[in-house]
Amino acid sequence: MARYGMLINTKKCIGCYACRVACQRQNDLLPEQDFIRYEEHETGTYPNVSIETVPLQCMHCEDAPCVAVCPTGAAYIGADGIVGVDEGRCIGCKYCMAACPYQVRVHNEKTGTVDKCRFCTVSAETSGTKMCSCVEACLTNARIFGDLDDPDSDISKEIAATNAQPIAGDLTKSKVFYVR
Amino acid sequence: MSFEPIWGAIIAWYLFLAGLGGGAFITSAFLGWRHPEAVNMRKVGHLIAPIVVIIGLCLLMFDAEGGLHNPLRFALLLTNFGSVMTWGVVFLGGFTIVAIVVVVLDFLKKSVPVWLDIVGVLFAVCVAVYTGALLGVCKTFPLWNNALLPILFLVSAVSAGMASVLLVAVVRHADEFNRVGVLKKFHFCLPIIELVLVASLMFITSFNSVAGWNSVMSLLVGQYAPLFWIGLVLIGLVLPTALETWLLFFSPKEFEESRKAHWISFGSDAGVLVGGFLLRFLVVVAALPVTITVPMM
Repeated sequence: MARYGMLINTKKCIGCYACRVACQRQNDLLPEQDFIRYEEHETGTYPNVSIETVPLQCMHCEDAPCVAVCPTGAAYIGADGIVGVDEGRCIGCKYCMAACPYQVRVHNEKTGTVDKCRFCTVSAETSGTKMCSCVEACLTNARIFGDLDDPDSDISKEIAATNAQPIAGDLTKSKVFYVR
Repeated sequence: MSFEPIWGAIIAWYLFLAGLGGGAFITSAFLGWRHPEAVNMRKVGHLIAPIVVIIGLCLLMFDAEGGLHNPLRFALLLTNFGSVMTWGVVFLGGFTIVAIVVVVLDFLKKSVPVWLDIVGVLFAVCVAVYTGALLGVCKTFPLWNNALLPILFLVSAVSAGMASVLLVAVVRHADEFNRVGVLKKFHFCLPIIELVLVASLMFITSFNSVAGWNSVMSLLVGQYAPLFWIGLVLIGLVLPTALETWLLFFSPKEFEESRKAHWISFGSDAGVLVGGFLLRFLVVVAALPVTITVPMM
């Protein structure tokens, strides 16, 4: 079974938010639902300063705090390592939103349930279906998706070549890697 | 970056009412032990306990919209015993059942067996501690993720429970109110302990991280400062302590038993209840998460 992950290169990211727009369209989200949020990180001391846009979304943690706290079992880790939400079990208590260290889970005002990045782009990876996902919409190819267990996959090679790391180190065994 | 609190006033009310219910039951058990003659006050506590807890649970279901639209999903609450919320459901369920049985026994004019009192008190303590642990296990929020919070919520719960019983006693059972000196002295101590706990929570959390510092500053000098200083500290903790110190230790005995003193006590107990709610509310809304790269305000 594949173990899916993503790589995000913030050095390539221009902060255009195309990934969020694509995500909202692909997943038919409400206008206020954003599975991707951005932190604008300023570094350096004047006059040598720079701004880094850090896109954040569900990290599909192997050690997922949302799954640990979910009282109804609506938050789960699938066989392919993708963290999912079973909407039919979610009561909307928002405990997962409080437990998520990345604040990337969002409340759906219509259904009252909680949702987040579904790694939908896996369909494009496995069946070749053209999609409007964050990976495909990215203008600068800042995002790579693939199987972390396959040493010959693009993502595995890129992680090795760039020494990409999860955004918060070993905090939750995240499967989204960052080049920063 | 500004942070929108995940939970708001509804959850704060729920946490407060659950604690208040537990505290009221504990107060009744205490009365049965130290003031067995205060029969009516004991019944007051027994009655308050299930009523407020059930109101709190209704608020909780109202806030959990996914379940509100599909009530059968609430049955799934007992599926993940690794979750503090699941344990909360067990404690609240057990407590509500015991509390209702006790009310029925009171209504049938039967005595409440001691073992049932003990079981109820154990559940009550678990409920009060759980309200703190529920928030406490969220590692991302330094204001919550510490061992002080469950203890602070327990002390506040017992304090609010005693205040609610004493408050009703002023109106309905003034004769018994005059004879429960030991209860009043315990009740007097609790806001003082709470003051120390709140101060410790603020002090330690501010040194925890940037998010901890920002949370504490929003309470002490930021947007929540008026509610914190006037509502929680002054009305909820300092005023009750000052009034009760005067009534219990410095006023003449005749005055202490006068109707005027009763109404002063009433005001102090109302203050404790206001403080109890504000404590939950402020802790819920002022907590800021540790963020990845940019601190939130």
